[in-house]
Amino acid sequence: MISRRDFFKGAGAVAVSTAAVSRVGAASLPEAVVMDNAKTHVPPLPSTGLPFNPVVTLNGWSLPWRMNNGVKEFHLVAEPVVREFAPGMKVNLWGYNGQSPGPTIEVVEGDRVRIFVTNRLPEHTSVHWHGQRLPNGMDGVTGLTQPGIAPGKTFVYEFVARRPGTFMYHPHADEMTQMAMGMMGFWVTHPKDRAKFAVDRDFVFLLSSYDIDPGSYTPKVNTMLDQNLWTFNSRVFPGIDSLPVRQGDRVRIRVGNLTMTNHPIHLHGHEFEVTGTDGGWTHPASRWPEVTTDVGVGQMRAIEFVANEPGDWALHCHKSHHTMNAMGHNVPTLIGVDHRGIAEKIGRIVPDYMVMGDKGGSMGGMEMPIPENTLPMMTGDGPFGGVEMGGMFTVLKVRHDQKRGDYTDPGWYKHPAGTLAYEWTGRLAEPARSADAGRSLMPATSRPDVKLQVRKPSGHGEH
Amino acid sequence: MNSLTKSGLGRLAVAASAALLAGCASFSRDGGIDDVARMTQERIAQPAPLKRDQDTQAVQSEIRTLLSKPVGADAAVRIALLNNQGLQATLADLAISEADFVQAGRLPNPGFGFGRVRGGGETEIDRSLTFNLAALLTLPARSRIEGRRFEQAKLQAAMQSVKLAADTRKAWYGAVAAAQAATFADQVRGSAEAAAELAARMRAAGNWSALDAARERAFYQDALTQQAQARLQATTAREELVRLLGLWGPSIDFTLPDRLPDLPAQPRLAANAEADALSQRLDVLIARQDAQATAQALGLTQTTRFINVFDAGYVNKSTTGAPRENGYEVSLELPLFDWGGARVARAQASYMAAVHRTGDVAVKARSEVRQAYASYRTAYDIARHYRDDIVPLRRQIADEVLLRYNGMLASTFELLAESREQLTAVNAAIAAQRDFWIADTNLQFAMNAGGTTDSRTAQ
Repeated sequence: MISRRDFFKGAGAVAVSTAAVSRVGAASLPEAVVMDNAKTHVPPLPSTGLPFNPVVTLNGWSLPWRMNNGVKEFHLVAEPVVREFAPGMKVNLWGYNGQSPGPTIEVVEGDRVRIFVTNRLPEHTSVHWHGQRLPNGMDGVTGLTQPGIAPGKTFVYEFVARRPGTFMYHPHADEMTQMAMGMMGFWVTHPKDRAKFAVDRDFVFLLSSYDIDPGSYTPKVNTMLDQNLWTFNSRVFPGIDSLPVRQGDRVRIRVGNLTMTNHPIHLHGHEFEVTGTDGGWTHPASRWPEVTTDVGVGQMRAIEFVANEPGDWALHCHKSHHTMNAMGHNVPTLIGVDHRGIAEKIGRIVPDYMVMGDKGGSMGGMEMPIPENTLPMMTGDGPFGGVEMGGMFTVLKVRHDQKRGDYTDPGWYKHPAGTLAYEWTGRLAEPARSADAGRSLMPATSRPDVKLQVRKPSGHGEH
Repeated sequence: MNSLTKSGLGRLAVAASAALLAGCASFSRDGGIDDVARMTQERIAQPAPLKRDQDTQAVQSEIRTLLSKPVGADAAVRIALLNNQGLQATLADLAISEADFVQAGRLPNPGFGFGRVRGGGETEIDRSLTFNLAALLTLPARSRIEGRRFEQAKLQAAMQSVKLAADTRKAWYGAVAAAQAATFADQVRGSAEAAAELAARMRAAGNWSALDAARERAFYQDALTQQAQARLQATTAREELVRLLGLWGPSIDFTLPDRLPDLPAQPRLAANAEADALSQRLDVLIARQDAQATAQALGLTQTTRFINVFDAGYVNKSTTGAPRENGYEVSLELPLFDWGGARVARAQASYMAAVHRTGDVAVKARSEVRQAYASYRTAYDIARHYRDDIVPLRRQIADEVLLRYNGMLASTFELLAESREQLTAVNAAIAAQRDFWIADTNLQFAMNAGGTTDSRTAQ
């Protein structure tokens, strides 16, 4: 399920193709490097410029640069791309350099950065460097601080990365459309002192959401809030890579939120601290332990913890519909509805009809044909069966034998004897239940007596 | 005067001899029905088993055999031609017409008179042999007129047969399609019933509001009404067919095929349709025959001037509420004052009138054929459009909704609503197919018989 990792091998990286913006401009422009797949590409240690510990972009990559008279030059190309959300689903997006989100830009505190932005979209765009201190004219707000970059044009942004921390970049032109189409990327400014805030593993991803009708390929850009696909770096479970770490590693996970709602990001098995916010690093004295941190709209959070509990630990947004793929919002509840006789009647008119939902939403591993380019609502197989998740869900894999710098998937966790939940096969006594449900405390005097037929489970024969 | 008298006497001799020859007219073996059957068969593209008496054992046995299997369109036409009593009446009229024709060719019997008068001692005995000279003189004309009337009657009977065949075909298409529609209405009702029942159970389980459950129930009630209407329509259409087949009693319990015939792979081409119609259409033939008859009369007038003593013409009498009575009138007059000039002019005018009437019929026939072809072609294209585009699209939509249902992206109710839409499309496709076959029948009728451009499209 987890794809094999590819590694950068120097500047002319494997799995990275190059495409000059134009032959004439090639002499003066840095290469616009393009990525053609959605695997996680672990960047190499920097060979030019100041040293830093690179981050690992979940299902993404970092943008190579060139040094030009002490200036770090990047080339972003805004263009239509096809992004694989998960095997079996591809989406027409707008992104940068072949993917959406675009490549992570990694610089070092104090770097002078020059970014060439070429627009290959059908409309004007701009890039706003979210969270950066920079000259006002470099802030990338169309109309306010610059004209839009017209289709076919290239603009240059140049500023000093003054503050270390976690940042994002995204258009500030026709924002509603361009962000709904996936225009965004991560930015990390590493501290000049390489040892400061150093961790063993530093993962980054953006939260983004889309509204893609089942059977279609392009997001509905006019949807305000009712998105149906919730992604880490425009990938949905089970298409998201896991986070493999070595037991005892200090792990940092940086999350940026470019959706239109907040996301309580929850990690199993460990407590973490929020060590970074939009404003930079938090004072150690102000940190408190958490297992869930809410990442608000337009915010960034860095959480840190020591991965000292081996196992396969879920990492996900705690809004339960954000851990699902596209689902029918108007499907009525069928739980407890007796289907005897009706299914046959419907089957006469709809030959392939099969009753679903009368026992809940789980389809119990039923393999039913669904619309093209559509992922099951709840999917992904674990070692014990269906994980029944989608969207913003992945796994932190803590292993004692994971090598330093090794990001390959270690497979499923093997539980030591006596550490796995098991089935009770002995006798079960009927539990004592209250009959009045608190009525003696809060009698309802003026309401009619509503008779509900709630079928409580008894024994373990059926459930 | 002299020459005229001489010529008149000569003519009288010719007429008398012609009358003797015409006197040979006798009853034909088939009473003209074979001619009618041949003309009908040429126009309905299947054998026309016309019989004057449908009560014979063989005919009844054939009808029983035909009714024992699902009755196809051709079989329905055959039964109608054998069994429709309206057609039987027309065939009986044909027999009357033939009898008149034969009668007209017979010389009147001579009369013999004997008188005895006694008075004043005298007895006078008168013996006379009389012969109806007028009847003798008018015999060839009467015979010719009755002959033409007989021919006209055959054409009329053929017209009637072709029309009956066309009406039967159209009624058959209507009945089969209406039965199919009734079956579909049953299925829609089944779908609505399932939805209403599911809604009721969801309500019982506490998952749905009274509002939602009532909405599904209301739809079910509508579907029930539509089902009742569809069934009535099926009965109505079938009864129309039953009437044309002339059936009653237990014989009405015949079965029809489940579905209409498929569309032909290619539509007919319009080439030569108008020309063919002019050579085939019975109303054109009737008008043409009328003009020829008038021309013959005119030719006779011009060469012999016999017309100044003899005038024959069709007469018809119409009385409100009663069928039109057709006949002819023969008068004999003596050429004392009128030497016939005006009558020649009149005959010429009559001829021109007949010619114009024929032209008028031809113009109408051409137009009717063009219109019928346009209806036919449009009906074909629409039916094919339903078959090739609309129904497959509806099926695809229903399949896609099922895929969405599978992915829990759509509910059972959407699934059922879409299946109803699909059934409605199939129903419309059947109606289009029925309209095509009716238009096909109308085109055939416009090509072969004519007289009506009734472009029957049902309900």
